[in-house]
Amino acid sequence: MRKYLAATSVAVGLLTGAAYAEDLTIGLASEPTSIDPHYHNLTPNHALSRHIFDTLIGQDQVQNLYPALAVSWKPIDDTTWEVRLREGVKFHDGTDFNADDVIFSFERAPNVPNSPSSMGTYTSGKTLVKVDDFTIHVKTEAPYPLVPNEISQIAIVSDSIKDAATTADFNSGKAAIGTGPYKFKSYVPGGKIEVTGNADYWGGAPEWDKVTFRPIPSAPARVAAVLAGDVDAIDGVPTSDIEALKRSDGDKVSLWQGSSNRVIYLHMDQFRENSPFAKGKDGSAIKNPLLDARVRKALSKAIHRNAIVERVMEKVAIPAGQLLPEGFFGASDKLEVEGYDLEGAKELLAQAGYPDGFELTIHSPNDRYINDAKIAEAIGQMFTRAGLKMHVETMPRTVFFQRASSGAEGGLPEFSLILAGWSAGSGEASSPLKSLIHTFDNERGFGASNRGRHSSPQIDAKIEQALSTVDDEAREALLAEATEMAIEELAIIPLHFQVNTWATRSGLTYQPRTDEFTLAMGVTRE
Amino acid sequence: MSDQLSNAAKPRFRDTPFGVFLSRYLDSKVATLAFVVLVVIIVLAIIAPWITPQNPYDLAQVDVLDARMAPGEEAFAGYTFWLGSDGAGRDLYSAMLYGLRISLMVGVLSGLIAMVIGTAVGLTAAYAGGRVETLIMRLVDLQLSFPAILIALMLVAALGKGVDKIIVALVAVQWAYYARTVRGTALSERSKEYVEAARNLGLSPRRILFGQIMPNCLSPLIVVATIQTAHAIALEATLSFLGIGLPQTEPSLGILISNGFEYMLSGKYWISIFPGVALLLTVFCINLVGDQLRDVLNPRLAK
Repeated sequence: MRKYLAATSVAVGLLTGAAYAEDLTIGLASEPTSIDPHYHNLTPNHALSRHIFDTLIGQDQVQNLYPALAVSWKPIDDTTWEVRLREGVKFHDGTDFNADDVIFSFERAPNVPNSPSSMGTYTSGKTLVKVDDFTIHVKTEAPYPLVPNEISQIAIVSDSIKDAATTADFNSGKAAIGTGPYKFKSYVPGGKIEVTGNADYWGGAPEWDKVTFRPIPSAPARVAAVLAGDVDAIDGVPTSDIEALKRSDGDKVSLWQGSSNRVIYLHMDQFRENSPFAKGKDGSAIKNPLLDARVRKALSKAIHRNAIVERVMEKVAIPAGQLLPEGFFGASDKLEVEGYDLEGAKELLAQAGYPDGFELTIHSPNDRYINDAKIAEAIGQMFTRAGLKMHVETMPRTVFFQRASSGAEGGLPEFSLILAGWSAGSGEASSPLKSLIHTFDNERGFGASNRGRHSSPQIDAKIEQALSTVDDEAREALLAEATEMAIEELAIIPLHFQVNTWATRSGLTYQPRTDEFTLAMGVTRE
Repeated sequence: MSDQLSNAAKPRFRDTPFGVFLSRYLDSKVATLAFVVLVVIIVLAIIAPWITPQNPYDLAQVDVLDARMAPGEEAFAGYTFWLGSDGAGRDLYSAMLYGLRISLMVGVLSGLIAMVIGTAVGLTAAYAGGRVETLIMRLVDLQLSFPAILIALMLVAALGKGVDKIIVALVAVQWAYYARTVRGTALSERSKEYVEAARNLGLSPRRILFGQIMPNCLSPLIVVATIQTAHAIALEATLSFLGIGLPQTEPSLGILISNGFEYMLSGKYWISIFPGVALLLTVFCINLVGDQLRDVLNPRLAK
């Protein structure tokens, strides 16, 4: 009897072992909000949609563009891009892919009802014209070099789903028909998302037969799950655990780190004469000190960026002196990280007329960026040393972003000083410049996240000039110049660039990505 | 019995009601120990500013460069972190004592306010009877049917952060317990002869309520108050642990525990464990004291 039991358990072990090798389970820090690839312009949603759907143009791990459903793209005149499509691609339901699907996808993307953050950012200003079944013209009103970057964000869905194209139909799987390397299997919000390998994928059959995504928002639970073998890989490894995982669990898990294009920065109220959270030390109303460039410079000098990186981020971050890490398209090679200079900061404050400082509150989310609340607290300490009277208020992201963007009367930003982060979706400098630095202009889609409302006509002109310069070299130089001007005026105070860490069980490798996507396509067996 | 021998002389201390109470309380060694520990905790919390090396709420004294020091390591400012430091560079020994101050203050204050409100409501219900009583008691039932943490969460989310708001939320959660206890006791007191007598003497309802009935409701009230204080402290810690109670820079025990939670796997046990032990000890001691009080004050359990 005992022998028999032992034999079956070996057999079971072999069976599960075999199944294990073909299946992959990934623990996710942030759950996608829908299967619908056009519903929400959000990193976890984009990452998930890359499994089921393809885009015309893909972005590799450092956000270089590569041909996906489009085999080539080139400008044929000042305002037209010609995109040639891949032939012989089939959707998961067996129908053929052609230009009609592309037209349908681009019509649908900006018009999803109840979208919390619309894809319109990427489709606005572009008109798609079908030339033949495998050629498309993208027309813009003015010369626009970023067409390839922006259309690389739009997932292509099948036009056969026209009637069933609601977000709920995607979530149920009815409409979740793409051309991607994995097929939709099931979706339980808060539970798990399952996809199965698409053996007929145009790019070759994928590595895994079945991939399960399990949202595990609690960081310690996520780490415990990969240590226990419940999941094969996780993203968002907390900085506090990295040292210990390297030291004691090196044989159980492997860590994969890569810097991201996400800059963590401070936005300062630069549009109100009296800022609600900047007061005299006795609590009296004073003229908004953050309007004075010397005060902003003093604050930047008072920040000990290396201390934040070493002690708060446990060395898993890179101190920042601009909007994108060096090496990215449009990053300046002249800017340096502001050094810590407490005496200089105090001197500048005195020159600006605040020898005794003033009272200021920093607001920060506490569940959005790596160690966000702790960074805010460290900033609080550092500004206190420079002579300010600081308060630190942290809150969940849902509350924070609503109040920081439009919490004050008239839909204006509510806070005086905030901590936030920005990831360049297009993989180059126009993204942060357009959204964070350019004067707020809702109609033209500029300054959408400019929560400090810094406004400089010179920088605006430079950004707009860059956006309509087709020549890459000239555009790169213009973007770098705009970045230098923005940092010179301290439209924002950059703190550091996030470095992301993934963990896999040993025997697997992960390809870190600057866009922070967690992709099953990036997990391979050694 | 010695009681009879001393009858003639001035009553000795242990024969006074308080003396009897005290000697019966001291019967339990565990409860006595719990009381002593509780007193020590309270005294330490009160004198915290004079015996701690750092004011953890003063951002100028906290340095992020001192973050996550192990117990026994030395701070830049020269003193030693006997219990280590947390992720923001706060000395845990200082932070715990300051945290205890907040926890105890919130617990006691909210308990007292809830007791006053609850007692008044309960007495009114019991004395008024009829529709007023039904109305009040259904309200109490309604409130007690919601989990306390749920009500507190909603209130704090609506009111915002801060010690005063936490107290308001805790009072709103607790008053119903007092109301129900007092009403129950007062109902049984109301039908007793001394109340009948007082009524016949023509005393005003207010005097009967507060002068006659209330003093006789005191003992169950004291017991409920003790237990509820422990409850309030635990509830405040829970709210703070969830990140919605007090500001990040003025940590109570709950925030300290939640700050250290993420470091548990990496072996930096001290950030969570020490404040956790302090919270456990405080709540446990208050509960033990409360239990013993109930035994001593309950006439049915008297020998």
